[in-house]
Amino acid sequence: MKTTSVNWIGLWTIVKRDTARFLRVPVQTLLSPWISALLFIFVFGHVVGSRIDLIAGNRYIDFVLPGILTMNVLTSAFTHASSQVYFQRFIRYIEELLTAPLSYAELLAGYLIVSTLRGLIVGAGILFIAVLFGAASITNAALFFWMVVLISVVFALIGIIVGLWAKGFEQLNILTTFIIMPLSFVGGMFNSIHMLPEWLQPFALANPFFYLMDGVRYAMIGYHEASLLTGQALLIGLAVVLFALVWYLFKIGWRLRE
Amino acid sequence: MTSALSIKDLRKTYRSGTVAVDGVSFSIAEGDFFGFLGPNGAGKSTTIHCITGIALPSAGTIEVFGVDAVKNYREARRLIGLSSQEFNVDVFANARDILEWVGGYFGMPHALRKRRVDMLIDRFGLGKHTTKTFRELSGGLKRRVMLARAMIHDPKLLILDEPTAGVDVELRLDLWRYLQELNAEGKTILLTSHYLEEVERLCRTIAIMHEGRIVRQGSKHEFLTDAGGLESAYLAATGKAEAGASAGIS
Repeated sequence: MKTTSVNWIGLWTIVKRDTARFLRVPVQTLLSPWISALLFIFVFGHVVGSRIDLIAGNRYIDFVLPGILTMNVLTSAFTHASSQVYFQRFIRYIEELLTAPLSYAELLAGYLIVSTLRGLIVGAGILFIAVLFGAASITNAALFFWMVVLISVVFALIGIIVGLWAKGFEQLNILTTFIIMPLSFVGGMFNSIHMLPEWLQPFALANPFFYLMDGVRYAMIGYHEASLLTGQALLIGLAVVLFALVWYLFKIGWRLRE
Repeated sequence: MTSALSIKDLRKTYRSGTVAVDGVSFSIAEGDFFGFLGPNGAGKSTTIHCITGIALPSAGTIEVFGVDAVKNYREARRLIGLSSQEFNVDVFANARDILEWVGGYFGMPHALRKRRVDMLIDRFGLGKHTTKTFRELSGGLKRRVMLARAMIHDPKLLILDEPTAGVDVELRLDLWRYLQELNAEGKTILLTSHYLEEVERLCRTIAIMHEGRIVRQGSKHEFLTDAGGLESAYLAATGKAEAGASAGIS
């Protein structure tokens, strides 16, 4: 067998196998975030939103949709990566990967590609649901795609770290319950930053989730409340730092080759 | 001639501080059938994990056919096939998928992979069981899948960590025949087993490990002649000679 610089067949096998795994349980991996998004769009966007005035010239349903989409995309990417790594460790079939001629970068790329794919499918489904409520405008498709990919990558990387760190099922959910959900809710998902008391606004600006939603909101309805450049720099910086960290953890075999 | 496996001063210390492997050195000649013995917890599996990449060595060198197993791990891993003691597989997958995927990880093109999978499924009598998930298989069938998986990429060095644990006599005899055929074809085999008669029957060179160190090694002939039999040599090397004597083993 020829040794090439990249084990493309190995990488493709990781992607194919991992994708097949999450498509085998669509109720849990796809239907669940779609139903959650449907309820959020219906209750907050449609029922409550119809009684709320315009926010900076936008209907409330159009304003909240980017936040709902972002939260579900990032949760899907995070859940996929964390559960995949954890279960592979727990059942020990991660040893199939550890004993194969795959580099750390190929392993990492495999996890990221599938987590991002799942984030994109979830995002596409939510857009389709939003169309049913007449609220799925995209003003900058390239930026929208880029944001969904970037958000998926960042949260998949965080998911990998949690999947490596977790010693039990309970720990897998800690980050979702105590970090992701609260920071999403106070990150401008349902409200404009200008609706907050003045003293609270700097805290909102310090919340990285605010920039995720702000960037997606700009891509969808052309409205943003913070510097897009700051948001991009923050997200790209986060992706680079997390990628380096995960690559290092793989290299030293933390919780993998011990 | 290049050794199939050459280990020098291998040490593995776990994060807890436990020294599992303490300065182990040995080599296996190409084409040899090597028996690796020792009581539970002796450090055999940890040594195997260091060779195959499941664990990172703390110190020492490991070379597989002259290739550094740590620095040049990708090339080294292509040369090794591992059948683990534990069933470290996706228990919800069937045998064909398990073999297909692992073949893919090893970079085998589709056509070659399919040929090897078909051949191994046939060779290990798994044809009637390919639609069952791994967890639905009997203990013996599971062990066959593990062996077929180790063989999928046609490795030059086969590492078998207790491959016959929990299998019936018929399959054990069948596996012995198959392993002897493979060895006759030139495959180097490292075998760990708690069945001394298995090691005595199959292996030409033997090493005994105890408390993280190699305490005795040599040819099977030496074990059988000098020490009065493998069992006595094993009990003496592992400090259990008295227990053996009280059980009537001279």
